[in-house]
Parts: sequence; structure tokens; C-alpha cells
Amino acid sequence: MIQKRLIGAITVRQGLAVQSFGYRRWLPLGDPVVLAWNLDRWGADEILVTVTDRGGAGPDLALLDRLAAAGLSTPLIYGGGIRGPADAVAVVNRGADRVTVDQLLHDAPGEVAGIAAALGAQAVIAALPVAATPEGLAWRDYRDGADRAPGLAMLDLFGAGHVSEALLIDWQHEGVPGAFEAALVPAFPLHDVPLILFGGLGEPEQTARLLAEPRVAAVAVGNMLAWREHAVQTLKAALPGARLRPARFAGAAA
Amino acid sequence: MRRTVGIIDYGAGNLSSVQRAFHALGHRARVTAEADVLDSADLLVLPGVGAFPHAMERLAAAGLDRYVTEAARGGRPLLGICLGMQLLVEESEEQRLTAGLGLVPGRVAALPGGGWHIGWNRLEVVGADPMFRPSDRESVYFNHSFAVDVPLPYRAAVARAGVELVAAIRRDRIVGLQFHPEKSQAAGRALLARIVEALCAEGGRA
Repeated sequence: MIQKRLIGAITVRQGLAVQSFGYRRWLPLGDPVVLAWNLDRWGADEILVTVTDRGGAGPDLALLDRLAAAGLSTPLIYGGGIRGPADAVAVVNRGADRVTVDQLLHDAPGEVAGIAAALGAQAVIAALPVAATPEGLAWRDYRDGADRAPGLAMLDLFGAGHVSEALLIDWQHEGVPGAFEAALVPAFPLHDVPLILFGGLGEPEQTARLLAEPRVAAVAVGNMLAWREHAVQTLKAALPGARLRPARFAGAAA
Repeated sequence: MRRTVGIIDYGAGNLSSVQRAFHALGHRARVTAEADVLDSADLLVLPGVGAFPHAMERLAAAGLDRYVTEAARGGRPLLGICLGMQLLVEESEEQRLTAGLGLVPGRVAALPGGGWHIGWNRLEVVGADPMFRPSDRESVYFNHSFAVDVPLPYRAAVARAGVELVAAIRRDRIVGLQFHPEKSQAAGRALLARIVEALCAEGGRA
């Protein structure tokens, strides 16, 4: 049976891995390749690299080249600056296995369908910064700070089979341990779409509770995996019933 | 023993990860579409990301479909990974009915019920093939929405995701892996190491 995943998340800004607090404040952590190398060594189930300041500049192919040179043996998800199928194909050709799309969902959902046609929908993840409100799910556009109801054009991408998973980002609580808003899970309107949760996760009790939800395929943890040796194995060991691939201590790489 | 791996470049995705996995095992790995370079390889590797019809078109456009089938039928070791494994069989239903390389009897169809098989899943090795046997119950990384069905004698390993899925196939010196060994950490690398040694030891270069 397919296992649930613990994803190590790396947020990159101005070329540096950063500890992010709600995407409003950042503390530098260092070279993102070193963080990725650690997550690979510790047995993360996937590594999610999100470059937050690419805008219209396209994906950070130089970073992807450096990540590839590190010889990672962990599946890599990349997000940031992807403008359409050509960018997504370039990202995969540089060593990523999957891509996240964010602004394209607002601006050009048709391009997302094109990415799925080129790479297969299993490679496409919709990154959705969201908040739970009394009116339902509010979907944020980082560029103008506006919160809107999830649009039909975006939701239709799931129904048409162009996107395989939704990455629900609790942007309000990102950087606050144990603060992920659990109400986001039932608020997401498409109940057959596998969910990846991110933002304020990593505290074992809450993480275990969320992984127990049938709709939740994975959790992505950022800051909490950056500060100690064997952080992935330690967190997995604290989640014994979570249907995760067991932790494996392989020791330091040669 | 250090071997030379020829990774067939037909423009279908993530070749550098495959190349680096073989480098990490101590082998030479060359990414190329040139027949004379591939001729010097001990093992041919057919990777792949994307859709089956497009991949077959790219192979044919480069003349590599004929190269691969002639090499494999001549007894040279061949490893297909992910879409590369699917290309080894007779036909695929993806997008439209498309003929494959026809090196292993079988057919590619959408996963039962649609959807995807994404993430780490345990292998159940079929039979006693020493190449695969140590991988029994090891978790490896899958990422696909179409799957191969082959007759039982060609099944080397399966995985379960509500239904039984063919995870690995073998016909003599032709091996296919639906999952990504290059992205399956220690379990994937160990299997790749055994595949190289076993296939290359069984007769060497054709």
C-alpha cells in the first residue's frame, strides 16, 4: 500500500534558504543545497524546494543544476517562476521529479493543462496559499495580497485530471510550530483530491493527527527540520502510527 | 567491476539523476543518442518522463527505436525506467493506441479507477530471481498514472495500491522498473547495483 510522505520543505529567497514566518519575515539559513543534501541523507520522502522571489524571471535553473550536482537520491519537487510547459520541462530535465504551480493557477490555468500534457499530471501539484474563513476557503494571491474564493478555472484543473495533488499552504501560520489550521482540510472543496499540508507543521501530535486524515497524502515540514541532525528520522520515530516509510539511519554520507 | 552504462537520450526528461545514480555506484555513465557511443556500453538504459506516444515519436525520429530493439534482441542488457519500462512492451492506451518496442509481451493502460500512484510503496518480489529477491518488502518511489500489464512469467515484482500493479519486469537480459530507483535512496541504489552486475555478468557485451 502506498505510504504517506514526510516532505522536507526548503524555502529560498535571494538565493539563500530561509526560515520563513508567514512569508512576511525571513531568517537566513544558508545554502539550500546543503539543506537538501541533509534531507536526502536523513531519508525525507520528498524534498520540496520553493523559490519565492522568481516572479516572471522563470525557474531558478542554476539552483536546480547545483541540486542535481549534489547527487540527491530523494524525489525533488520544485516551485518558483514556472511560466508554462517549457519552463516545467526544463525544470524536470534539470533533475526535478515534480513541479508546483502557484501564480499560473491565477493567471493561466490553460498553461497548467499544457504542463500536464508534457509531463503527466502526476508531476503537477497545485500550490494553494489558503486560510479558513467563516465564508469558506480563502485563496491568497501573494502579489496583491487579495483573498478570493477558489476559482472554478483552478478547481476544474483537478476535475480534468491535469493536477494530481493540492499543496494546502497555511500561510498565516507558516513558521509557527503546531499551529497549522486543521479546518483547512475539510474546507477544501474537492474531497477526492490528495492533499499535501504545509505551514506550521512538525509538532508530532498534530502532525500525526493530520496524517491520519484519509485525504492527507503528505505533510511538508520546513523550519523544524533545519536545526538538528537526523531531524527527519527523529520526527518519523515520533509518528509511529502514521503509515510513513520507516525512518532509516544511514549515517553520514561519504 | 566498473561498467559502462549508455543512457539513451531521446529528450525525455530527467537523465542527469539517472546518470548520477550510476556514477554513485562507481560506473561510467554516458548520456547520448549516438549509436557508436551506445555500442560501447555494457548496459543500455532507457529512461523516460512524459507521455508514451510522444516518447515513441522521439525514439523513432532519432532512429533509436530500431537501435534499441536490435540491441536487445541481440542479447545486450537493457534497463527501462518508469516510462522507459512501459516503452518495452507491445502497446499503450495512453492518449491513443500506440505501438511500443515489443520486446516484452504486454500492454500499458491507465491505472484502474484512474488517478495516480505517487509516493513510496513496498515491492513484493515475484519468484526467486536473485537480482530482485533482496528488494522484497523494500519501499521505492513511484510516480505514474499508467501501468504495464505483462503475463506472469515476466513479472519480477508487484506493488499494491488498492489493486496489484506490476512494479518490475524481466525477460532474459531485458529489465523494466516502473518506479524510480535513482530516487529511491539506499533501496534503489542497491537494486541498481545488482541489476548492473547481474545483467552485465550474464554474457558481457554483445
